[in-house]
Amino acid sequence: MAIESIKYAAPETETAVKTKAFPRPGQHTSGIIDWLTTIDHKKIGFLYGLTALFFLLLGGLEALLIRSQLWDHNMSVLTNRQYNQMFTMHGTTMVFLVIMPLSAAFFNFIMPLQIGARDVAFPRMNTLSLWCFIAGGITLNLSWFFTGGSPAIGWFGYAPLTDTRFAEVIGDMGPDFWVFSLQILGIASLLASFNFITTIINMRAPGMTMMRLPVFTWMTLIVSFLIILAFPAITIALAELMFDRTYGTNFFDFLEGGKPHLWQHLFWIFGHPEVYILILPAMGIVSEIIPVFSRKPLFGYGLIIFSGAIIGFMGFAVWSHHMFTTGMGIVATSAFSILTMLIAIPTGVKIFNWIGTMWGGRIRFDTPMLFSLGFITMFMIGGFTGIMHSSVPVDAQHQDSYFVVAHFHYVLIGGALFGLFAGFYFWLPKMSGRMMNEKLGKLVFTLMFIGFNLTFFPMHYLGMIGQPRRTHTYNEGHGFETWNQVATIGAMILGIGIAIGVYQFVNSFFNKKLKPAGKNPWDARTLEWTLSSPVKEYNFARNPIIKSRDQAWENKYGSRDNHSEKEPLDDHGVHMPDRSWCPLITGIGLFVLVLGMLFHQGIDASGELVRDYTFALIGGVVFVLGIIMWAIEGPGGYHLFPKESEE
Amino acid sequence: MGHIHKLFLRLILVLPVLLAFGCSRIDHKQSALDPKGLVSQNQFDVFMLSVWITIFLFCAVGGCLLYVLWRYRAKNAEEAMEIPPQSHGNSKIEVSLIIASSIILVILAIPTLQGVVLMNKVPDPNDQETLDKLSLDRSQVEDAITVNVTGKRFFWVFEYPQYGIVTANELVFPASKAVRINLRTEDVIHSFWLPKLAGKMDLMPGQENFLWFIADKDKILDGKTVAEAMPSVFDGKMRETVFAKQKFTDEFEPVGGLFYGQCAEFCGNSHAYMSFRALAQTDKDFDMWVKKFQDSQNPNLQPKAYDPEMEYSKGSEVTFNDQSLGENAQRVFLASKNVLPGQAPNLSLKVWKKAHSDDYEIGKQLFSSLQCVQCHAVNRTGIGAKGPNLTLFGLRTSLAAGWMRNDPESLSDWLKNSNDVKFGNLMWNGEGVDDSHPLRNLEDDDLKVNQLVAYLLEQI
Repeated sequence: MAIESIKYAAPETETAVKTKAFPRPGQHTSGIIDWLTTIDHKKIGFLYGLTALFFLLLGGLEALLIRSQLWDHNMSVLTNRQYNQMFTMHGTTMVFLVIMPLSAAFFNFIMPLQIGARDVAFPRMNTLSLWCFIAGGITLNLSWFFTGGSPAIGWFGYAPLTDTRFAEVIGDMGPDFWVFSLQILGIASLLASFNFITTIINMRAPGMTMMRLPVFTWMTLIVSFLIILAFPAITIALAELMFDRTYGTNFFDFLEGGKPHLWQHLFWIFGHPEVYILILPAMGIVSEIIPVFSRKPLFGYGLIIFSGAIIGFMGFAVWSHHMFTTGMGIVATSAFSILTMLIAIPTGVKIFNWIGTMWGGRIRFDTPMLFSLGFITMFMIGGFTGIMHSSVPVDAQHQDSYFVVAHFHYVLIGGALFGLFAGFYFWLPKMSGRMMNEKLGKLVFTLMFIGFNLTFFPMHYLGMIGQPRRTHTYNEGHGFETWNQVATIGAMILGIGIAIGVYQFVNSFFNKKLKPAGKNPWDARTLEWTLSSPVKEYNFARNPIIKSRDQAWENKYGSRDNHSEKEPLDDHGVHMPDRSWCPLITGIGLFVLVLGMLFHQGIDASGELVRDYTFALIGGVVFVLGIIMWAIEGPGGYHLFPKESEE
Repeated sequence: MGHIHKLFLRLILVLPVLLAFGCSRIDHKQSALDPKGLVSQNQFDVFMLSVWITIFLFCAVGGCLLYVLWRYRAKNAEEAMEIPPQSHGNSKIEVSLIIASSIILVILAIPTLQGVVLMNKVPDPNDQETLDKLSLDRSQVEDAITVNVTGKRFFWVFEYPQYGIVTANELVFPASKAVRINLRTEDVIHSFWLPKLAGKMDLMPGQENFLWFIADKDKILDGKTVAEAMPSVFDGKMRETVFAKQKFTDEFEPVGGLFYGQCAEFCGNSHAYMSFRALAQTDKDFDMWVKKFQDSQNPNLQPKAYDPEMEYSKGSEVTFNDQSLGENAQRVFLASKNVLPGQAPNLSLKVWKKAHSDDYEIGKQLFSSLQCVQCHAVNRTGIGAKGPNLTLFGLRTSLAAGWMRNDPESLSDWLKNSNDVKFGNLMWNGEGVDDSHPLRNLEDDDLKVNQLVAYLLEQI
């Protein structure tokens, strides 16, 4: 990481604050302890991104195994159970461990810079969110090594397949790992979201009114609200499933009077907003990039934000379109069908506005712009197929076929991932302080664009000629072979493209030969581009006073009235908080608690079920201790007196 | 820079062309693009409407995008640094685009709502107006047949409540009548997907779902004769025709009356293997099939033990012990003439002959002694049986829930090691089946396997 610590001529420029119950690692912490105890939003964002990129490669590997198995009819690269585990893990990983945390990485890193804040509102909570995310990722992938292996239930884990009654391996622990890892990941997302909402509402620089917020920050706010409203539903569903599996309750066990339908409603009332949780950040990123590379302000700023909010709001009213084939009756299916069609309108508005932004501009085709254009076109295809199966009669054929697989990959790769990659190429210079190789970036884009379309476009056709999804093989004579082979080749190309991209991102932090980025390499528009690259640990030497929407642009090209000003530095300078061990301790406590819950059941010599909660209790105690220490450790910290030139 | 941009354009243009070539054939076994029934035709029509709408939108919006990218590209470094007018939006354009897109959605919404009603309700026979609109005869919906479908991991039970018969994995139905399908499951969620006839509907635990379809006889026949396109099931002609025409390769010649279906909701390890077939029949052939099935599943019509007091007419069947088959073995004897009381079945008497081959009779015993009968009902209704009902098994075109062709080779492969064919299937892995189970020890026992095959395929 290239965020170098600042060296000042102490002592007259810095003073330590002495109000600590016990020591917190201070200003000069470095190395591994620095990374374990950091509360700097930039380092947390970096760790979020790095971990998510690792999981992207892991989930991608799973996808390639899936594609190899489908190369030809009756292949045996994987057994059917391994295949089922693979698509379950691929889906869960990509949704919860890749796209969401990649978005979170940008929220963390970029959002405070865009609003003129020195950090998020609750820096230690931010760190806890990071550790919860990592603990969740580890928990999910630990499942490979225990009874039954990884879950083989699909990423939406439909009851009653998740019930112990229908387990196909005796004592299968896969679904338990799945349940608990999603619960911890939920905590991570909720913590982060409350934090971001508080930050955006309260910590904007003077003059940064809501209608001057950069669109990406707006999308952060909307997504954070979606998360805090959507996650409780899945938290409840998962808790009920946990009770069903562990203590024999009957929430979903239909043989005892439970309702499998209930799971689907709870899951999708989370799951559909989740789709927008995945896509809105990418839309925010693209809405930042297109103005920069067209050298024009965003067309219809207000409408883009309003449509983002409408999409988020309506996302809660369309969940049952995932359930058109579950027998909900004429009225419910019709209502959800019409609502789903309506959601196409605000989505269309965004696309019109992006084109409107480019209209009359001076368009440059640098890598971030290429990915953004890829986003628009691919997302458009994904959106159009979405309109198709918003129609119930059409969905009666599409549902659970490869057509749907094609649809959501167009939205989530062609949409979300392309958008996030655009974000990487756009903002990494700000994070690392170095420009990435443009040619290599364009190669990555070309490989990804070609590979992606080769993989997923044929799947529309495969679905229409009858290939069902989630089948580990297909019989000969259906005519599925050719296009599956094309898709597999495409997936390899896509995989190579992504791997080069990830290499390029990581490399940009370590390769000293790369060109330095300077403050504003793209001639970009928003506030973060007024800062040095990489950004100093205090972000802003003096608080900016915001005068207009595209502040960096206005400072350079705008009239004098629109230039931002600086608040004078207080006598005590910039107060920087000390680092803290408490989030890590609390996170470890939670992790141990979860492991304790996962392994608390056993069979004794006489074959009786025994429950032993010692391990879980230890975890719980550590968790509570962590929180208590957190509460009493005091602010600590030190003061810096940076000169304005050191911003 | 420009050349990558051009490469893009070319790709976008070339992809659909490539696809058009590759997708020239759309009548695949499970293709939703080749509808053969009223409901699926409606689904297809709405789909095509949505395709044309979205192609139009894609061309309009995409064309606009391409124009903008071309027209306003920065041609050189100086131009890239120019500052164009900083306009912020235009509410008239935006509002008109919103209204335009709403109108386009209405075009799709109306047939959608009509389609929802059609899918969920068999038209009322008294509603002549609707029937006319759908060009149906009153009798086609009035005499609708009902099939109760039960999904199990990993096969299908088809029960015909109007006729009191139960079969598995192959749904026989009259091509000219509406078919009501009631869907239930005994374990996890499955989904009944019959692309060419009906779309799909889930089988939800603790709930009964519904779907219906009616085939289009003209589309099934497609200019061919009934004997070619819709051969009769009850006398084995369907099976012969399918075997003669349908190789398991891409270049198959479709038999119009044979439809392929598949479980479409992930239901566990062997979900991929949970397929089924539906066979269309003329009314007459369907009635014959039903009659034959009813007789086969009627316990009163099964051969009874020989009674020395009775007189038997020609063609009667009785069971009697036959030591040549083994100790206490029973054989079915067929009276070739009228038999007087006291003429106990004996082949040397000439009035009795073997009803079945020796292999069949031994296979029948094996079917019990190897515990097959624990899960499979033959010539009985047995709804609750664990495995598929095997009544008239020899008439079926497929084996192992539609996965293999039902011929002697496949059947013996299946019996020898079903786990090799369908990994994780419950015949091999079900409750109470372990390595000591006789079924798992048939691999090297060709004799027994052949006898079982003879028994099963002679269920005709």
